[in-house]
Amino acid sequence: MRSAKGWYFLVIGLLIIAISLGLMLGVTFISVRQMIDAFSGRNPNQASIILTIRAPRIAASLLCGAMLATAGAISQSAFRNLLADPSILGVSSAANLFVSLGLMLLPGITGGKFWWSLAGGCFALCFLISPRILRDPYRLMIVGVILMLTFSGVQQLFSTGAGSVSGSFNGITWNTVFFLVIVGTSGLLAAVVISPWANYLKLSGEQLKTKGVSALLMRLGLLAVMVYLSAGVTAAVGVIPFVGIVVVNIARYLVGRDYTTLMPMAMLLGALVMLVIDTLGRLIVLPSELPAATLMTVIGGPFLILLLQRKRFNGTKSG
Amino acid sequence: MELNQVSFHYPSHETILHAFSARVAPGKIISIIGPNGAGKSTILKLMTRILTPSSGIITLGGQPLTAFSQKQLAQKVAIVSQQNPLYDEMKVIDVVKTGRLVYHNLLETIPDREVFKYLALTNLTQLAQRPITSLSGGQQQRVWLAAALAQEPEYLLLDEPTTYLDIHYQQDLMMILRQLHADHSISIILVLHDINQAFRISDELWMIKNGRLVANGSPASCYDQQLLADVFETNIQIISIPGYGRYIVELPPKEPNRRND
Repeated sequence: MRSAKGWYFLVIGLLIIAISLGLMLGVTFISVRQMIDAFSGRNPNQASIILTIRAPRIAASLLCGAMLATAGAISQSAFRNLLADPSILGVSSAANLFVSLGLMLLPGITGGKFWWSLAGGCFALCFLISPRILRDPYRLMIVGVILMLTFSGVQQLFSTGAGSVSGSFNGITWNTVFFLVIVGTSGLLAAVVISPWANYLKLSGEQLKTKGVSALLMRLGLLAVMVYLSAGVTAAVGVIPFVGIVVVNIARYLVGRDYTTLMPMAMLLGALVMLVIDTLGRLIVLPSELPAATLMTVIGGPFLILLLQRKRFNGTKSG
Repeated sequence: MELNQVSFHYPSHETILHAFSARVAPGKIISIIGPNGAGKSTILKLMTRILTPSSGIITLGGQPLTAFSQKQLAQKVAIVSQQNPLYDEMKVIDVVKTGRLVYHNLLETIPDREVFKYLALTNLTQLAQRPITSLSGGQQQRVWLAAALAQEPEYLLLDEPTTYLDIHYQQDLMMILRQLHADHSISIILVLHDINQAFRISDELWMIKNGRLVANGSPASCYDQQLLADVFETNIQIISIPGYGRYIVELPPKEPNRRND
């Protein structure tokens, strides 16, 4: 199936199925019939399970999945590297570390999590956007991984500290969902608007200059949206790795390499994958559960290795 | 466009271009020829402000290049570089559309119909939806040419456009350039390795050696065996081929130590 439209329909269909299943499945199974009963007032207990536990959780995972996948796509275009992802480059772990530090040092600031997270993401970015690193895709990956390990290492020093988040959607409230809706929709919208820049950046900086446009400006614009999106997710649920690489590369395989069609597909597919991962995490070790981050690592790691084994994969094209 | 005493060197490197002065008469085809490393490509890069002169000034319509924004300059001067790296797959039409960026702001969507004309000019209409890497070298070269033409420049600069092309594509490209020149009267400045091609297509030649302009003038005035031999540091003979005209042949270097008797 080579038509992008077909894939869009398929993914949207799967999303609807996944959302329905997500509402039904859990410690207690709630069938469609029971759901109707619950909401017509005959079973307020189950209505409350759906409204206060499952629905916000599903909404959050959908939003986070879309945000992370989009951040991944943007980061891959801005760094011109198909492996660049905020979680691998240390952006997410820096954001997470700053959240922990911020809450420890200045616990009084309300709504501070997102700002700390954003500050952390920008901090990590400062190490990544030197001209030398931008020119050399291998150096970028090495520096990124070092940053990621360093930030998460430092994080572990404070892991007992207040508010360190776990990369799980367990216990998500509507408050967090509301926050995600605001940051998510604004960030995703911005991503769609500037998605042509991701295409233009396939040309060299010199080429773009002779077309009268600044590659640097576009890169910084894209990276700002990338940090905004991934900081939003980190502030809400912590670090969930690999989404950007796994989802975006599948999306690329399905709809091609034009970022204006790739970006929306990455959003939908990211939402789907994250919801499926979270629902699986809720189910496979009942009555306990696995954090989405853990499952994503278990799936994302091997996927990445498979991807790199592929002969045709040329993720770190230098030049 | 006029270059006035333009010198260029990279920081803490030796000078590539020495007080170079020349004028591009509007609507002319000019070829820059000379040995490797003479500074030919550097001149084109200075004209597009990819590089900035270390000293001297380049003017366009009487105003220094620095008076233009990069976008204004790109509306007047377009370049087809020798190497055109692409970091990811792109469709032909999308590459050509990047040329239209000079007439749009970055958030606008560039409609397909804006580039149909340039695709047609370069015989790419049939290939518009193909990924550029699926094209042959000659076709790819035409894509970059179309992108440059989409800028609707007054000056079109081409850096060794025929180097990697076989004879068929070379002739193809030269025909397109001639056509463009005839129909749109744009000034074309070429860096060419093939001397005979340069002599055939140009109105004017700039001969460059070691960053200096050694000679310039019409091709007819440049058929000078001694001059060419000096510039290229090789034995040159100009022969006459019926149906073609004068043809410059590089002879193997003389080897005075070996006797052939």
